Amino acid sequence: MKPTGFKAIFVRSVLQIVRRPIYWAAFFILPLFCFLFLSDLMTDGLPSKVPAAMVDKDGSSLSRSVTQQLGGMQMVDLVENCNSYTEARHKMQEGKIFGYFLIPENYQQDLLAGRKPVITFYTNMTYFVPASLLFKTFKTTAMFTKAGIAMSVLESVGVPDDVITPLLLPVNIGARAIHNPGLNYAIYLCNSFIPCVLQLMIFLVTCFSLGQEIKYGTSRKLLFMADGSIVKALAAKLLPQTIIWLVIALFMESWMYKINGYPVHGSLMWMTISEIMFVFACQGMAIFFFGIFPNLRMSLSISALLGILSFSIAAFSFPIESMYQSIGIFSWILPIRYNFLIYIDQALDGVHIYYSRIWFVAYILFMLLPFTMLWNIKRNMQRQVYAP
Amino acid sequence: MSKNRKSYIRQLFDVYCREFKLVIHDPGILIFFIFLPIVYPVIYSLIYNPEVVRDVKMVVVDNDRSAKSRELVRNLDATQEAWVIGYAADMPEARKAMDSHKCFAILEIPDGFGRKIVRGEQANAMMYCEASLLLRYRGFLVASTNVSQAMGAEILADKINGIAPLAETISTGDLMPIDNISMGNIENGFDSFIMPGVLILILHQCIVLAAGMAGGAKRERPSLIGYDGVNDQPSVAMTMLGQMLCYITILILPIIYLVHYIPLMFAFPMAGNFAEIIMFLTPMVIAALGMGFMFQGIVWERESVFVLWVVTSVVFLFLSGLTWPRYAMAPFWKFVSNCIPATWGVEGFIRMNTNGASLAQVSHDYTSLWILAAIYQAGAYCVQRWVVRPSILKGSNSFESAKSEAI
Repeated sequence: MKPTGFKAIFVRSVLQIVRRPIYWAAFFILPLFCFLFLSDLMTDGLPSKVPAAMVDKDGSSLSRSVTQQLGGMQMVDLVENCNSYTEARHKMQEGKIFGYFLIPENYQQDLLAGRKPVITFYTNMTYFVPASLLFKTFKTTAMFTKAGIAMSVLESVGVPDDVITPLLLPVNIGARAIHNPGLNYAIYLCNSFIPCVLQLMIFLVTCFSLGQEIKYGTSRKLLFMADGSIVKALAAKLLPQTIIWLVIALFMESWMYKINGYPVHGSLMWMTISEIMFVFACQGMAIFFFGIFPNLRMSLSISALLGILSFSIAAFSFPIESMYQSIGIFSWILPIRYNFLIYIDQALDGVHIYYSRIWFVAYILFMLLPFTMLWNIKRNMQRQVYAP
Repeated sequence: MSKNRKSYIRQLFDVYCREFKLVIHDPGILIFFIFLPIVYPVIYSLIYNPEVVRDVKMVVVDNDRSAKSRELVRNLDATQEAWVIGYAADMPEARKAMDSHKCFAILEIPDGFGRKIVRGEQANAMMYCEASLLLRYRGFLVASTNVSQAMGAEILADKINGIAPLAETISTGDLMPIDNISMGNIENGFDSFIMPGVLILILHQCIVLAAGMAGGAKRERPSLIGYDGVNDQPSVAMTMLGQMLCYITILILPIIYLVHYIPLMFAFPMAGNFAEIIMFLTPMVIAALGMGFMFQGIVWERESVFVLWVVTSVVFLFLSGLTWPRYAMAPFWKFVSNCIPATWGVEGFIRMNTNGASLAQVSHDYTSLWILAAIYQAGAYCVQRWVVRPSILKGSNSFESAKSEAI
């Protein structure tokens, strides 16, 4: 007679994890690799020195000084000097540059004669980040050039110095990105993507381990060991996983906020509570998937589909109010959405916990979800039919 | 000799037919070959389909209450990017609105804003933007820059006429007009930016996942496919070739759908030549199949592919340089990204499809893909020959029996 009871199932579950390399990969290797990869990749904050080209068709002293100014900017690296628009466009198509700055023929001459030459710059918007940085640099350079010329024209007609400066920019609206003033990409992306990786792995491993019981015909034994109680069976089976996930989640938190030093303007206590509840919420959601599709492949497919879609639909980069409403509402069915919102409030912006209260409640709802589907899991564990 | 060659063709044909039958009767693999490429891009495109971020909410703290400050607010509200939802009496009230997620930026106009403009001094205002989503901040930045420039130009024209009538030349219009043109993705849309790359990534992952699952299925039930250890087996090379041809046959329609019809449906840029794009993607498909055959080496059962492979999509997305450009990667990560077929596939496809490059212009990516295809296929042969084949031939359920002991 094999042992029964909570402890026996727990030990059995631990042994399953220890004996199968796939669990080591899923619990440790893959998530930890992703944590390291994402934060190390973007460790510079911003991809400065965007490769770009100058198309100087004028070749005058003025146009050369524009080139020098542009070349001195922090964000740009003038790697090519092109003779024509077509040449520059081809360089862009070949991927050597992300944009180019075009000074037309007779630029200096036209400018001094008041014939208003047009300066044009081109950015390859198929790569958003470098193109945006390039756009900003090009625009600043062009504006400075223009201001310099306006200044010398005004001086030449006798406008006093102290009047000129405010004339160049009479209204100045400064836009400040609070709490991430350097627009650090690691802070912006890692704080959402790293927990989302964790959510994906929790979904997959939970469904995988439950589905295995049915696939290998051990689910009846599991139920028997739990004296027929599905709650006891699931709790004891998933508890070892919960413990591992909690360790990983807390490591993730310290990895982000302590080791990498992402900003925490609120309290770490609430973030810790959030991460702990997040693990339970993800497991709850995964059990719920398994309850709807008590089939190894189907539940894993749903986990993978939603887990990967979460990276987009939880609105880490494209705001939810800009999505179609009928699509945007789906972000609210994902635990990661609440993790992200709590991170914004409690870590990035540091607002009072009062404003985040609803999102902690949402976690609790995810934890309660499995109870609606226990009957179906139990039924299928008793039937024990594997469909490939 | 001729007999031998005939037998190779015979082997190839047998493997091809057998694989076709297996795939068609395996709903798991069909999900990767049919459902995933057809449904997933549609869902993904729909998420980002509104393309641009419009009318992000902001509140105003106007400490000036002059005609000029009201004009500034009106102008900001009129931009595509910003939406002034209301005035707050003071900063604490505005903070409260931002904390309770009602707005994402606060514009503070200091006392004396209008007076400074009339006096000919520089008038400053400050916009505090919530920085969790950079697209929102970007919108506010663009809106505030455009508004301050437009208002500035107007004031400048007024002033100059007053101070120095001689300087009229510059007040009649722009001294040096500045024009900017977005190439490729001309609307600066988010969907048109990210989707072409994601389409290729989806194709890449479908292939690897399907190949992995097919391998897992065989290792689980060798009897299913006639691997009984008694009859002659087709050679490893022919098995791989037959499987590859079978998968490519199945993939033809999904590939055409992915690279042609999805961009057509969602009006993504389509500047490339279709035939050249297909030619370009061929080595990527072969390389991805090689990767899948190598992956079979660690897939002991069908469903492991989900747990082991799905998360790589995120890694590959970043390695492709779509979000974080490749020129800014550390040498190590750049090397890793060089080893992934999807990197070159995404890069080349974006250039061809969105920037209208010809196959000759992406020759670097194309060559790299062929080299990767050769490397992965060679690696795949080794894995198939010395890992997968022996484990299948060892007889059925060797793993299953080991596992049931464990439980």
